[in-house]
Amino acid sequence: MARIKRGVHGLKHRRKVMKLVKGFRASRRRNYRVANEALLKSLAYAFRDRRARKRDFRSLWISRINAAVRREGISYSVFMHGLKKSGVSLNRKALADLAISDEKAFGMLLNLARQAAQK
Amino acid sequence: MRTYQQTTAQTAHGWYIVDAAGQRLGTLAVRIARALSGKHKPTWTPHIDDGDHVVVVNAEKVELGGQKWKQKLYYRHSNYPGGLKVQTARELADKHPERVIEKAVRGMLPTNRMRDAQLRRLSVYAGAEHPHGAQNPAPLPGSN
Repeated sequence: MARIKRGVHGLKHRRKVMKLVKGFRASRRRNYRVANEALLKSLAYAFRDRRARKRDFRSLWISRINAAVRREGISYSVFMHGLKKSGVSLNRKALADLAISDEKAFGMLLNLARQAAQK
Repeated sequence: MRTYQQTTAQTAHGWYIVDAAGQRLGTLAVRIARALSGKHKPTWTPHIDDGDHVVVVNAEKVELGGQKWKQKLYYRHSNYPGGLKVQTARELADKHPERVIEKAVRGMLPTNRMRDAQLRRLSVYAGAEHPHGAQNPAPLPGSN
């Protein structure tokens, strides 16, 4: 069998890496050896953080809902418990958005939660 | 639907005032730190500094539980050998009544680039007088 060396494909691989590291800083963009390692790391972080993003946003919504309900004198946990008891199934994303964009609707939810929590 | 993101242009730094007389240091510092960091607003966005100003009066009348005036210690180091300085809460409060509250609040704010800016919005006064009457500060919301 003919012997195959890496000339063409090695070059192709290096070009691909150099293309993908555009926008990195300093030698991480210019120097193949450094760039290759930086690329491996960046892909690994991107994979991890696409999953972490879902948690990050949920925790942000919880912070915002908490801020909105505490000024009305109840805590996040009491509020969510009250909503669950009264059968409201809005998710935290929608609740956080209502707290900012539609105070009237959020106020009604607050009342619902308060009544349900007292029972 | 996209999650709302506050921009720096939309931030509004309001003013709050609180009387420290008879208040427990930690409980008070939690309330102050919340207002300074902006986490009491439903528009809170982690990387945007949307904190409010807080004026604290009667800092010299703040309370500590148990024997903490004698037992709570503040450590500093001058970076010279043997340069560790230790002060009790009583000693610090006698010299600088404001610093007890400032230090407690500082420790409750997250260590990030916004912390110094947020601490600059905290004004602590030993007595009942303060020069921020023109800002018309509202009472600080409770710990609830």
